[in-house]
Amino acid sequence: MIASIVSSGVAIGCIYALIGITYNVMFSASRVFSFTAGTLGMLGGVLGSLFISRMGMPVAIGLLLALAGGAVLGIVTEIVAVRPVLKSLDQHLYVLSTLALALMVQQFTAIEWGTDARPFPRLFDISRDGLDQQFWLPMLACAAVIVGLELLYRHTLIGRAFLAIAEDSYAARALGLPERRLRMASYALAGVIGTLAGFAGGEMLLAYFANAPMLTFYGFVPVALGGMGNNRGAVVAGLLLGLFQQAANFLVGGVFASVAVFTVFIIVLLARPEGLAGASLQRRV
Amino acid sequence: MAKTAITRRQALASAGAAALASTLARPAIAAKEPILIGYLPALTGPSSSTGIGINRGILLAVQEINAAGGIDGRQIELITRDTQSDPTKAVNGAAELTHGQKVSCVFGPVNSGESLAVVPLLARANTPQVHPCWVDTLTDPKKYPMCFRNAPTNQQIGHAANGYVVEVLKRKKVAVISDTTGYGTASVNAYAPMLKEQGAEVVYQGNVDAANPDLKPELLRMQSAGAEAIMPWSVNAGFLSRIINTRGQMGWDVPIVGQTTLGSGQTKDLLEKPEYWAKVYPNNFRPVCYVPGGKLTDRTNAFLDRLKSAKIDMGDTLLWWIALGYDSPRMMAEAFKNVGSEPEQVVGYLNKLKGFPGVYGDISFTPDQHNGYPDAEVVMVEANSLKDGAFNLAPGYSA
Repeated sequence: MIASIVSSGVAIGCIYALIGITYNVMFSASRVFSFTAGTLGMLGGVLGSLFISRMGMPVAIGLLLALAGGAVLGIVTEIVAVRPVLKSLDQHLYVLSTLALALMVQQFTAIEWGTDARPFPRLFDISRDGLDQQFWLPMLACAAVIVGLELLYRHTLIGRAFLAIAEDSYAARALGLPERRLRMASYALAGVIGTLAGFAGGEMLLAYFANAPMLTFYGFVPVALGGMGNNRGAVVAGLLLGLFQQAANFLVGGVFASVAVFTVFIIVLLARPEGLAGASLQRRV
Repeated sequence: MAKTAITRRQALASAGAAALASTLARPAIAAKEPILIGYLPALTGPSSSTGIGINRGILLAVQEINAAGGIDGRQIELITRDTQSDPTKAVNGAAELTHGQKVSCVFGPVNSGESLAVVPLLARANTPQVHPCWVDTLTDPKKYPMCFRNAPTNQQIGHAANGYVVEVLKRKKVAVISDTTGYGTASVNAYAPMLKEQGAEVVYQGNVDAANPDLKPELLRMQSAGAEAIMPWSVNAGFLSRIINTRGQMGWDVPIVGQTTLGSGQTKDLLEKPEYWAKVYPNNFRPVCYVPGGKLTDRTNAFLDRLKSAKIDMGDTLLWWIALGYDSPRMMAEAFKNVGSEPEQVVGYLNKLKGFPGVYGDISFTPDQHNGYPDAEVVMVEANSLKDGAFNLAPGYSA
């Protein structure tokens, strides 16, 4: 029983963490919380099912095409929903513009793909004994993203340029860094990570258009708890959220589990508004 | 050049003649005006599988009625508003149908959660309504005198399903689970007390978010509570398939008995292994089931032939959904043909309807009983016997 709670809790937590990282990568590049993060996760499942199950493509090709689709949506988000509102960040117009784009993509998916949940293919034809692939695939994807981002940010020039933009975009631009192109690249990267989350968790979440609001909502919790822009905080908070949610499902069950999750969420934010791993913001006077 | 000026007298005479002509012509035009039936299906959204099936039958019936000349020369026109499985949109659609389109009668909504919001609204608008939703409170001849149900109530469904679990399968400890929709919660609240009255013990009772990706904790709670049967009540194929898959993964040999969508093609598509569909018994309806020997009734066979000749797909839906959709406009058309399309006339006719011969079942109403489906036709079936949208009766039923 405990093994079951831990395996599914960690797996779901990894999906939430990846969506949290998606939020953070977009936030770091633009100071914008793009609510297309959950939609990217939903598309990972839908595109994976479309390419592999319906069109019969090999898994690797299906994965690559799904990730490419996510990258394209990331770039479209930057151009359509983020860039036009960057000059008035203090008015928080990005909430409306990104949410509107997310809803448009979700509704388009519902019209073209259908509104029923559809099966996501089993990626590897191996036995279900032991820890099943539907659980270890999200864990593997999460680990790969953490390691990949660490290598990118610490050991490559473009990664350092991303960090420079995140640190101070004006200074980075003054130094000659192509801020706009780097921001677009960050959004493409976020698109890939978000889509990978949905693809890796596809067997668990199914290919279902209504996963978008669920992932947008639960994926934001690790960001708020872990500290905005803090990927390590998002991973820890995502895993804790998944485990707590599954434990609450078992202990109290039904709709009470959601109530328990959000009660804890509110209590934590009341105690530490900057998040568990976030630093207090200094207010300039 | 000739003068074309018109005198005041000529103008008045022309206006008078035009007015007289339009008055005289009105009955002839009215006689050819279509009769409008408002229709509120959920064609999209998470509860749309029922609506999609019903829609195929409705469209076929209206097409057949109109092709045969309509109702005394008047065509039936279906004014459809997709509720998108959302009660708010269903209310908006109902308001538009009654106030904007001024329909003669409304069929739908086809999901109880939406009907709970729409039925009081249509009652206030004095619009005759026929719906197939199961929640008991959705008909009440005193509160909603113009509302009729041409499908079973939750009580009828519960009686058949609970009776099958307790009396046929001899299971006394039961887990009752639903999603968080209006239909789901109302069903659990109705069936749990019924089970207790029938001698069973409800060891687990819960409403779960249908988007929850992992139902194993819920099934573990059922198992540790000693459940001997699981009774799910939801029209969400994703939710139902997760229950069936989780039971299979756990290797838990316990029957699943409940909602008709357990046996739908959408649920089947989401199963991890075909063998997980064994020991799943959804409710269904005797007139559209195979009796031992694998045969359907003559009436249903004739209907199947019509569906096949109209090239209507049955592989991804249930025959009873299509049959119910097919019967509904035909029942309304019979009322229009016999008494006209005025609301009081339609309601008066339906109040005396006796044994309307539907493919889905024979429907009867009285002024005090607006639930028209016969008890004896509600049965349980074997999910994995699905063929052409119909099923074999579950073990324990006789022909």
